[in-house]
Amino acid sequence: MAVKSPPHALLPEDPGGRLHAPSALRRLTAKGQARRIGGYSVAILGTILMTAALLPFRDQITPLSKGFGFLVVVVAAAAIGGLGPGIAASIFGFLTFNYFFLPPYDRFVIERAEYVAVLFVFLGLSLLISVLLARAADRAEAAEARESELRMLQHLSSDLVVAVPGPSAYQSMVSRLLSAFDFNAGALFVLDPATRDLLERATVGVEPGTLSPRWDPASDVRPPERLPLSVGGRNLGLLVLTGPRPPLAPAESRVIRAFSDQFALVLERDRLLRTATDAEIYRQSDQVRRALLAAVSHDLRTPLAAIKASVTDLLGKDAAHRPEQTREALESINEETERLASLVANLLDMSRIEGGMLKPRVQAVELQEVLTTATDRLKRQRPQLQVRVRAPEAVVRADPVFLDRVVTNLLDNAAQAAVDQGSAQVEVETGRDGDRVTIRVIDHGRGVPQSVREQLFYPFYQLKERHPRLGTGLGLALAKGFLGVMDGEIWIEETPGGGATFAISLPADGGPGS
Amino acid sequence: MKRGRVLVVDDEEQIRRAVGRALTARDYVVETASNGEEAVTVAAGFDPDLVVLDLNMPVRDGMWACRQLRARSQVPILVLSVREDEADKVEALDLGADDYLTKPFGTDELMARVRALLRRASAADTSSPPRFEAEGVEIDLDAHRVVRDGEEVRLTRTEWSLLEELSRHPGKLLTHRWLLERVWGAGYADDVDVLRVFVSQLRRKIERDPRRPRIIATDPGIGYRWLVRPVEVPVA
Repeated sequence: MAVKSPPHALLPEDPGGRLHAPSALRRLTAKGQARRIGGYSVAILGTILMTAALLPFRDQITPLSKGFGFLVVVVAAAAIGGLGPGIAASIFGFLTFNYFFLPPYDRFVIERAEYVAVLFVFLGLSLLISVLLARAADRAEAAEARESELRMLQHLSSDLVVAVPGPSAYQSMVSRLLSAFDFNAGALFVLDPATRDLLERATVGVEPGTLSPRWDPASDVRPPERLPLSVGGRNLGLLVLTGPRPPLAPAESRVIRAFSDQFALVLERDRLLRTATDAEIYRQSDQVRRALLAAVSHDLRTPLAAIKASVTDLLGKDAAHRPEQTREALESINEETERLASLVANLLDMSRIEGGMLKPRVQAVELQEVLTTATDRLKRQRPQLQVRVRAPEAVVRADPVFLDRVVTNLLDNAAQAAVDQGSAQVEVETGRDGDRVTIRVIDHGRGVPQSVREQLFYPFYQLKERHPRLGTGLGLALAKGFLGVMDGEIWIEETPGGGATFAISLPADGGPGS
Repeated sequence: MKRGRVLVVDDEEQIRRAVGRALTARDYVVETASNGEEAVTVAAGFDPDLVVLDLNMPVRDGMWACRQLRARSQVPILVLSVREDEADKVEALDLGADDYLTKPFGTDELMARVRALLRRASAADTSSPPRFEAEGVEIDLDAHRVVRDGEEVRLTRTEWSLLEELSRHPGKLLTHRWLLERVWGAGYADDVDVLRVFVSQLRRKIERDPRRPRIIATDPGIGYRWLVRPVEVPVA
């Protein structure tokens, strides 16, 4: 997002188009100091110069006129540097005026009463002028400061209203804060209402876990900037910022605190959004449960019916079976039992996935090994099928058993789709994409229309056009569930030339000890 | 001539009956037990050649029985497990079980495992270090030589240790922990990634096609198995 450069020269922009708060806000303070120093210099040098200029003419000019000269110095000093320099100029001028320009010269004694009046009128005027000018200057400075603070706050907060809630939005928020105030690293901790623990939600600039929400007073490391985030007295979280920069100037502090208040509100908003969503999910999952029951009772009862029929047939004393009929019946019983076993296993896995009870054992897995095992198995089951694998050596982090299930499932689907369409080829390709590895299972059967790509992963959803033969409909839902607990993803692409490509991605393994 | 004595331990009567029936029909002598304590008692008197042990018995009885049986003898133990309990399987194998079978299983799978375990047990007393010849590679542990397709293959010291451990129990499923502790030491028992890297290196040196290993098989998530039987040394 580009931020428009303000016409005001107060906030300089770097070439990247970002506002540089520390320079601006800190600069104002520095500016103040520079001006004060300037003011004092003017007070001292001005008085000296004025004295030097008027000295040769001190007999010709009336005291009052000489007084005006010093008044000019006072005005200048106060206008530039504020109250301090103004008063300094007044007093210095007062003394110099008395010593050099009021008879008797070169002495602090005053001759005539009216000279005393002149002197003290001078002092009074100069002090008054100093005060007035200083106040005006201060007000102007304060207004400048406020303006740049507000602008900075606006810059930081502009994203709070548009961001989609979640860790990536928080991440960019923290980044912005870091860059605006010249910190190196920061972390956002959110309070978990259930455990009352501070959980790290976003980290920028260091590895997660490096920054601690707690500060050890005994440690000699400079304490980081810690900003509590609370709404209505309730503590929602904590922002921790560190970096080799001087402690926050008051102006910076004000802006950061205002921002963290707003951030707290955003956290609260996100929390409420999530609660609302959870309620909706629960309601929807109820519907899913009903659909599941309906589908499952059918898929369970069918094999059971076949088994019961075959077994009671064989047991029947009223029939005479030939050996091959007996064999056939027993084979049928075996097949149906397999189907039942498979369905039960899938249902159990599905319910574990939905209950969040899956226990993956993630480890480094050689991709080629998994793919070879799965494709060999497929080739044994479907000898007519051609399976081409293009997979350079790669190692991923995954649960090997889950990964095998996912790959097998995708291969079975692809094989079925290919066969239905008369094509006898399925391809598997892998590729590296940054720190992730992608596996694509490609078929040239009927593709999957864009509109149903998301629903395909719901339990028991089946694309009848693509799979006229009814399966349990759980395969893809299981695949998605397994991948979900392994930091994996799954999505569908269109195969060029027609067909579906199911793609999954997993984290690449960094090597032993990673 | 009976093929062997098998003790079947399972708390479910149907399983005891079904497995018992399958074994008896194939000329094995079968005794059963329905819990860990009974198993230990019966084993003492029956002296089985193989124990089929259900891990799923209540309150970790199966694990207890495994430990007890192993403490008393070297009898091969085949554990029956439920599919999702990967951790249990590995624990049992680490405690001394020799192989596992997942319920529901077919009789063919059961018999394959039973026969393999009994065969290993009887072949266990070889006096000289074994030699292996398979898939175009010759491995002579005594002479410390590996030759593939006529060319000598150089192995590092760690690779040799690993090769020796793997080939010491052909057919047996060796867990990650088992191998890591014996090749690298007790402190390395959890460094599965290290083991994977070395097995991969070893495969590249001795397997004809490392992607389809015929000598060292992977049991995903559990461990490795040496598939090749040693060359029979003729007795003089």
